[in-house]
Amino acid sequence: MFQDKDHIKFKDYQLEDFLTDEFFIQWVKNPNENTTHFWEKWIEANAQKKEIVMQAATFIRSIDYQEKHLMKNEIYLEVFEKIIRVDLKEVSQKKNSIIPFHWKSILSLRNIAAILILTFCSWIFYSLAFKRSIVKEDPIEWITKVNRAGIKTVLTLEDGSRIHLNSSSKITYPNRFSDTIRSVLLEGEAFFDVAEESRPFVVDLGKAQIEVLGTTFNAKKSSENKLEVALVSGKVKVNDRKGNQVMLMPSEMLTIQADGEFHKSKFDSLEIIGWKDKILVFRDDDFITVKSKIENWYDVEVKLSGKLSTTWAYTGNFHDESLRNVLEGIKQTSKIKYKINGKKVELYN
Amino acid sequence: MNIDPKKSSEAKHITLHSQEIVRIFESKSDCEIWTAFDKGDEMAFNYLYRIYAPILYQYGFQFSRDSSLIQDSIQNIFIYLRSKRGELSEVANIKGYLYRSIQREIIKNLKATTKRDQINSSALENSFKIEISPETSFIQSETNSLRKTKLQNGIDQLTCKQRKALLLFYQEELSYNEIAQIMDFKEVKTARKLIYRAITSLKEFIKPAK
Repeated sequence: MFQDKDHIKFKDYQLEDFLTDEFFIQWVKNPNENTTHFWEKWIEANAQKKEIVMQAATFIRSIDYQEKHLMKNEIYLEVFEKIIRVDLKEVSQKKNSIIPFHWKSILSLRNIAAILILTFCSWIFYSLAFKRSIVKEDPIEWITKVNRAGIKTVLTLEDGSRIHLNSSSKITYPNRFSDTIRSVLLEGEAFFDVAEESRPFVVDLGKAQIEVLGTTFNAKKSSENKLEVALVSGKVKVNDRKGNQVMLMPSEMLTIQADGEFHKSKFDSLEIIGWKDKILVFRDDDFITVKSKIENWYDVEVKLSGKLSTTWAYTGNFHDESLRNVLEGIKQTSKIKYKINGKKVELYN
Repeated sequence: MNIDPKKSSEAKHITLHSQEIVRIFESKSDCEIWTAFDKGDEMAFNYLYRIYAPILYQYGFQFSRDSSLIQDSIQNIFIYLRSKRGELSEVANIKGYLYRSIQREIIKNLKATTKRDQINSSALENSFKIEISPETSFIQSETNSLRKTKLQNGIDQLTCKQRKALLLFYQEELSYNEIAQIMDFKEVKTARKLIYRAITSLKEFIKPAK
């Protein structure tokens, strides 16, 4: 790798020669195995130069900007969004109103770069430690909870976080969290009330991850691979696989389409999270939506005999009502009659 | 509640997407990252933004104290680069390339708002101030503390160009070649000379008094 002539070349070096040598600076600032090996041997062989080398190295390391301006987290994200947004605007005009973003910092006055390096280092460190601990300690067991149609459950995790799991949904979580991260996997829909603490809580939705410290939000991954994250309180950060990241403020909802396109909007909290309080909500829903909501809520099969006008839509809320009462409600405003036969519901007009 | 053993091996390896991206790209050369970005790799763009937006911000402040102007400049550069994907030329040193870009962008924006002569003289002459950071070996003793003061004084005597070159060379770890390009020198040796002269004038303050 390094020739003898290199050894000789540096022999006559004076302070200013070291200070103007790119190879020397590279070693001082970014030592690697090769350069370290070379310079250690060289100093050993040229002990009389050791002091000069030390002086040069100290000088190189001490040169720094007098004025430092750290890019605050909110500025970092705001500029990022503006860059991303330019492309999106050209591609399509969303009918959903894109609301202006109000950024607030979760980590104000800190350098993003420093955080990245720190998190990365600690991640390496912990992932090493974690791998080792898998061998030694009890392995972490992953628990999967599946709700079929008609079933809703509430579970409490080891850290005190509560999860309302909706019908036809599945959640996978460890029996105990690691020291660094609390992570769960979600298919379907769940409402999270995350206990606040220092370990980040991550909901993995496959193509995106929701990362929070302590907050309440609703996450939904539909079968068409569309994601919706609606924030009730606190702050959440959503990262997709490509590294796009979006921060949500309370009462904002992020929708990520199957093709990866995303936008933010306001949301009607009853419509989005009424389900966890046993409120079945219809909002100007077409027949397909009404049908799938009823099927999912009551674990029944809904069939339509006859025809509905294409503009048919239904709006209504039912708090913890029986299937019969819901159908009765629909009948009264929509002139649709119903028959219940066990697990089958027939609608007709 | 059922425990699904098949799921467990898969689930254990949840890593944060953001960290995953850093992991993928940090071992790649600038050339490879740039090519990936040019080909439309969104991850490569996100990596570039993650790594370079904060340092461009810091660098930009050497030219102007107007935070929104610097934000706009960073934004414009990335929007421009994204729009040119597929036809970007090779870049061997991303930091050097982006520093040149932001410098040009900020000065262009400054010119739009200020009179030309004002930018050249007063505004930029005070930029690229250097501070000797508290390295342990410099501040161990009183004599060292005195030396540090002398060295700082010596540095303060340097011209703006010399300071800028030293910062790019030592703090930013850019090569003579990159520095020459950033500073608009036709030849690399101009950058060498500039730094050599600065070092010669500081030499007596770097060496300990005997």
